[in-house]
Amino acid sequence: MNPGRIYLDNCITTRPDPEVLQAMQPYFGEKFWYPGSFISTGEAINDDLKRFSGIVADSIGASEAELHFCSGGTLANNMAIKGLAAAYGKESKHIIVSVVDYPDLLTNAAYLEKQGFEVSYLSANEEGFVNLQELQSAIRSDTIMFMTTAVNHVVGTVQPLAEIKAILNTADHKIYFHVDAGQAYGKIALNVDELGVDTMAISAHKIHGPQGVGALYQRSDVKLGQIIHGVKRVDNLQTGGLNIALIAGFAKAVQLTFADLNGTISNLRAMSNYLLSTLEANIPEIELNGPRGDKRAPHNINVSISYIEGEAITMMLDASGITVATGSACASQGLKANYVLMAMGKNHVQSHGSMKFTLSKYTTKAEIDETVAALANITTELRKRSPLYNATHKEK
Amino acid sequence: MQYSQKVLDHFMHPHNVGKMENPDAVATEGSPACGDQVTVYLKVDEETKVIEDISFLSYGCASNIATASIITDLAKGKNLDEAKQITWRDAMEALDGLPPVKVHCSVLAADTLLTAISNYEIAHGLKEVPNFSKDTILEELKKIIYPKVGEDIVSLKMVKYVGLTDGEVLIDLNIMSFDQWRDNIAEEIREHLEKYPEVKHIQINFP
Repeated sequence: MNPGRIYLDNCITTRPDPEVLQAMQPYFGEKFWYPGSFISTGEAINDDLKRFSGIVADSIGASEAELHFCSGGTLANNMAIKGLAAAYGKESKHIIVSVVDYPDLLTNAAYLEKQGFEVSYLSANEEGFVNLQELQSAIRSDTIMFMTTAVNHVVGTVQPLAEIKAILNTADHKIYFHVDAGQAYGKIALNVDELGVDTMAISAHKIHGPQGVGALYQRSDVKLGQIIHGVKRVDNLQTGGLNIALIAGFAKAVQLTFADLNGTISNLRAMSNYLLSTLEANIPEIELNGPRGDKRAPHNINVSISYIEGEAITMMLDASGITVATGSACASQGLKANYVLMAMGKNHVQSHGSMKFTLSKYTTKAEIDETVAALANITTELRKRSPLYNATHKEK
Repeated sequence: MQYSQKVLDHFMHPHNVGKMENPDAVATEGSPACGDQVTVYLKVDEETKVIEDISFLSYGCASNIATASIITDLAKGKNLDEAKQITWRDAMEALDGLPPVKVHCSVLAADTLLTAISNYEIAHGLKEVPNFSKDTILEELKKIIYPKVGEDIVSLKMVKYVGLTDGEVLIDLNIMSFDQWRDNIAEEIREHLEKYPEVKHIQINFP
């Protein structure tokens, strides 16, 4: 399935399933039509679209009418956050988010601050959990929205959504609850009614669907101000055209992932447990970032390797045909240490030496063995070159 | 911009890497906080002042390792006066260039070599410990690279004023508030100047 290359960067994007490609094919060709009324071609696409919408909505316990397809998680987050602010932020202008949230949430919060909103930024603990005591005391009479990243994009921490909802419910007025589920979707069970979320963003290409399509869940009694204005084709919120082929691929990916979600999750969990134990057995002075066990998403392992720097590790692994990600400043365009790790109280060396492995259903034990073996050699080589390692370890 | 093949070669197979036993001089520059640190070891012929052997250790990214490798190549076999003339631009040229955001790595490597030579000269009575002055600050500012274009902030005329009174350093920079690199540059300036015991306080002003 992975000819010649080991791909362990599945939190960025995943390999499309061949069945997904097949499901999209007709809409690039003979079924190129657009949805419409009273005309057989338009009605046929209408029906397909309703069916796809139903499949995706069903995967989060929503109804088909509560779903808006759009270009991906970032647009969905924007439509929700700016939409909630527009609908409910005329008088009350207080928003709560945490410092470890996904950039979509933090940049929208910063934008709204400039528009006159006040934002409370909650801290996180050393495992990346949002500080719930701070949440409780941050709530004010003018708080309109709390937003969170269900699974942290760096360390895989699963935020306690039910506990969060219980705290939001203690307020004497409604606080809208937006969840970015980009990393959570297909990795943990998400039922919008059980969780009591008002809006939620999901994306297809994190679950072996195509890139460029996602969806926003909007609870039926929740209003969202419109942020994209244009011709209304299908959706009154997400105006303009829709890419039916991508939506078909999205629905197929959902069917494949959710046919046996528990099986998908336990396979990923077994594989990431194996990766972690193999790493810990073969590489000395390595440390897990984020929680251990089922408070962590099943596909994410993030470790800091002491004394060496992540960009160098990543490049050497790349030369061995292995794709992984690092939190090192040197590998980032902004030359900044990873803000999530720093907010968790890690130091610069731990951030620069952090490696993020994110697995998929295609990851095999053989690939993990090969990756850890390569990483062990690279670690030995880079530590030999490192002044930090040489200063603390005498040559044997 | 990608790394050149030469950078990759020197990164994967660095020359002169490893700790040296009984060096004649050693210097370490950078810090783990900035994500890169280089140590350079020298063995110098006392008669001819030729660098007979040189090696380095590097905590840092691929370009950090590659620039340290090439700078030690360039210095090996040269006498101290010749070696002092090696600049970060020479290192960059020898590596067929670096992405602008990585130019600061070559500055760190060249700087560490220079400090190692200076340490040798001071230890062997060839020069005095230099006085800390406004020139020292200017020399340090010339090592700060604006990552967007890969040139130093002095050449780019981003430094409007440098003042020094009783250990109080005052620097006026011509970098606007919306510049994404502004905080990085201020942080780097502090890291470069705080290592001098003479510096008591650093004030950096922007328009």
